[in-house]
Amino acid sequence: MTEITGTKQAQLARPWLRQVLGALARRTGARIGLAWIALLVLVATFAPFIANTHPLYMVVDGRASSPALANMGPVDWIWLAGFFLALILTMVPAKTWFRVTAWLAGVGGATVLAYALVSPPTLTVYEQYRTMEAAGKIERIVRAPIPYSAKDYLRDYGDTGIEAPLAASERHHWLGTEENGADVAARMIHASRIALGIGFIATGIALLIGTLIGGMMGYFSGVVDIIGMRLVEIFEAIPTLFLLLTFVAFFGRSIYMMMIIIGITSWSGYARYVRAEFLKLREQDFVQAAVACGLPLPSILFRHMLPNGLAPLLVAASFGVASAILAEATLSFLGLGLVDDPSWGQMLNQAVQSSTFNWWLAVFPGGAIFFTVFAYNLIGEALRDAVDPHTQRTTMGARQ
Amino acid sequence: MLLYLVRRAALMVPTLFGITLIVFVVMAAAPGGISAQSLIDGTNLEPETRQALEDYYNRLYGLDQPAPVQYLRWLNNISPVGFEREADGTLGAFSLFKGPDLGVSFRYGRPVTDLLAERLPITLLLNLLSIPLIYAIAIAIGVQAARARGGRFDVASNVLLLGLWSVPTMLAGVLFIGFFASEQYWRWFPTAGLVRREAVDQTFLPWLASGVDVLILFASLGMSTALLVWAAARAPRGARRYGGALIGAALGYLMAAGLQGAAPTLFHGLLGLGGAALAGAMAGIPSKPLRIVFAGALGIGVGLGLARALGAEIVHGGYLFDRAWHLVLPVIALSYGGLAFLAKLTRSSLLENLAADYARTARAKGVDEETVLWRHVFRNSLLPLITVSATLLPSLLAGSVIVESIFSIDGMGKLAVEAVQTRDRELVLSVTLISGLLTLGGYLLADIAYAIADPRVSYD
Repeated sequence: MTEITGTKQAQLARPWLRQVLGALARRTGARIGLAWIALLVLVATFAPFIANTHPLYMVVDGRASSPALANMGPVDWIWLAGFFLALILTMVPAKTWFRVTAWLAGVGGATVLAYALVSPPTLTVYEQYRTMEAAGKIERIVRAPIPYSAKDYLRDYGDTGIEAPLAASERHHWLGTEENGADVAARMIHASRIALGIGFIATGIALLIGTLIGGMMGYFSGVVDIIGMRLVEIFEAIPTLFLLLTFVAFFGRSIYMMMIIIGITSWSGYARYVRAEFLKLREQDFVQAAVACGLPLPSILFRHMLPNGLAPLLVAASFGVASAILAEATLSFLGLGLVDDPSWGQMLNQAVQSSTFNWWLAVFPGGAIFFTVFAYNLIGEALRDAVDPHTQRTTMGARQ
Repeated sequence: MLLYLVRRAALMVPTLFGITLIVFVVMAAAPGGISAQSLIDGTNLEPETRQALEDYYNRLYGLDQPAPVQYLRWLNNISPVGFEREADGTLGAFSLFKGPDLGVSFRYGRPVTDLLAERLPITLLLNLLSIPLIYAIAIAIGVQAARARGGRFDVASNVLLLGLWSVPTMLAGVLFIGFFASEQYWRWFPTAGLVRREAVDQTFLPWLASGVDVLILFASLGMSTALLVWAAARAPRGARRYGGALIGAALGYLMAAGLQGAAPTLFHGLLGLGGAALAGAMAGIPSKPLRIVFAGALGIGVGLGLARALGAEIVHGGYLFDRAWHLVLPVIALSYGGLAFLAKLTRSSLLENLAADYARTARAKGVDEETVLWRHVFRNSLLPLITVSATLLPSLLAGSVIVESIFSIDGMGKLAVEAVQTRDRELVLSVTLISGLLTLGGYLLADIAYAIADPRVSYD
């Protein structure tokens, strides 16, 4: 009897975030979504080992080397560092905010280190391995599962161009090639980084701006609220896609620019949510107590009020990641995306660009966009159910 | 109410001002920005001509002036009251009746007003066709899902709708064009534009070779539609499902035969099975209105095919038919996303109201479930749908940017992409202004509709 009450109390005392995550993990839809995102993270992290023209290991004239490792750029190392740091931090018992801060600091440090230390050869000659192999110079070789890089346009073959899956006689392109002759599977694998990165960073920027502005509006109300709401209205009344187009067409087309642009065009929804929550919260006793204690404003806003208003924000952010990915894909599709780097939307565009319809360029990259957006929407839906007090009560009741 | 309207209209002005200001700042702050040099870049001209052209553009658009002055000039041009603009670009006397002037497009060399008057109706046509379609089907699905909560239809439609909502518009458009319009697969629909050149010179209605053909056409159309609609509405569930599966299998086989000839292959079998599964599932939907809509659409298609097979000679389809034929794919691509969203919203709103106290009271009085649903709950559940209609228009406008680009329809969305890509300042600002105005107008309309639908809301 005492044991039961003990576990019950432990359950009640569980941190709110873990309760929500636990409820999330019990839903089938969320599981499927999380599994797909986890797969994407794995593929994105280990992209250079999955699809690479540089062999993973080779022996030439008795000398063993690993061209794949030698040709890894700073971004590749940052992804690996971020992945393993996250893996280690989930094992270490610590508070959530500590883990997040440590992870961000670690990735920041890795970025500085990577750009300072790593300098892969600027000129990569993809053909050299194939010519060396043809000449019989290589004694032993271990290739990546997909032996083509994203930007390896197979110039040495001469007949390169757009090809259906498994159409080429001497090479295996599981998902075909795109208009410049590069392998679609390899490009899709490397493009998963763009999709993931854009989704998280753009949503992070939007969350930051939205929380700041919305928090101010909700806490101060009055004049600040009126001005803030006009700003929100302005950003809502411009079709986001149109604002994005204008930004991208007039500023450059780098991926970082796109993250920032998508971030600063999609914050208005978060601002609305935070404002509504803060308007409710600021009348409550614990906030009044915090004010009466003379705590500084940032502490009241972000340590005391924000964690209590996090629930609708999490749901909105999950859907927000999906729409950020869609926004990037749309921009790339309309020909305003990245120029040389692979992106799912850009490949989708190539499906109808040439005079013929190339189904593999529509089905595979389009399918990847669809599944990723679907996964985030599934997670968002499950999160909404998990934080909704009505459904939570029924599931708790069903368990007891 | 009038006072409220005036106040709302007055509040629109600062918002519109802010919208154009943001877009103008983006354009002015961009590296390179807009200058006379960027306008004539790429043209192969003699240096003197170049200089003259640059001076001309600078004078005409005031491009050599500082950005704030340029923006104020633009504001002056579009406001109905302000300084007259002389032909050489300088400002004239103050006038109360000069009228708004949206300027001249850099790229097209035509007044922006003309361009918009040409393009805007096309985008509006697409959107105004989509909205009723979205609402009708979404409400039918939502009502059915809410009525049997947790049932098979509810669970299946929930997953399917979320999936539909996640399909990017460009993927749907590309697949539609690729499979149903391109040369390689089924050439059922036109690939681009809104009307064929020949159709413009044809009669408005279809033109048939003889009176007998007209008779055949009407008979086959009427018969197949009536038969299918009757079966969808009245036939028992088992018969419906088997009949539907049979028709679906036949259509799937015909589809494969159209591509690869009549000799049965694995491909024929797969398409036949797919068609059977799809039509069987459609015929098994428990909602009668939905079944009738699907059966009616199928009946028209089958009837047209039947008339063709019976030898009705159609000289040409006429303008109306051609226009409708061009609109099918774009309208579907534009509407399915909003449809999924609205259907989910209808469901949750209905469920909330079905569990409300007033619905329980009605049931306790002995009112049957149908009456509770349609007379008590349904009208109250419409309120969130009205609120959402305000946000539907902006999302449709954004969707038409993509749809118009894919289907090469010369509407405002395509104009927006072109304007942005060619850095056509006047056009970008005007398109922003118009779409902002449409969006704010949508919000206002939604608020008014809300007041009409809900007697508790009053703006006086």
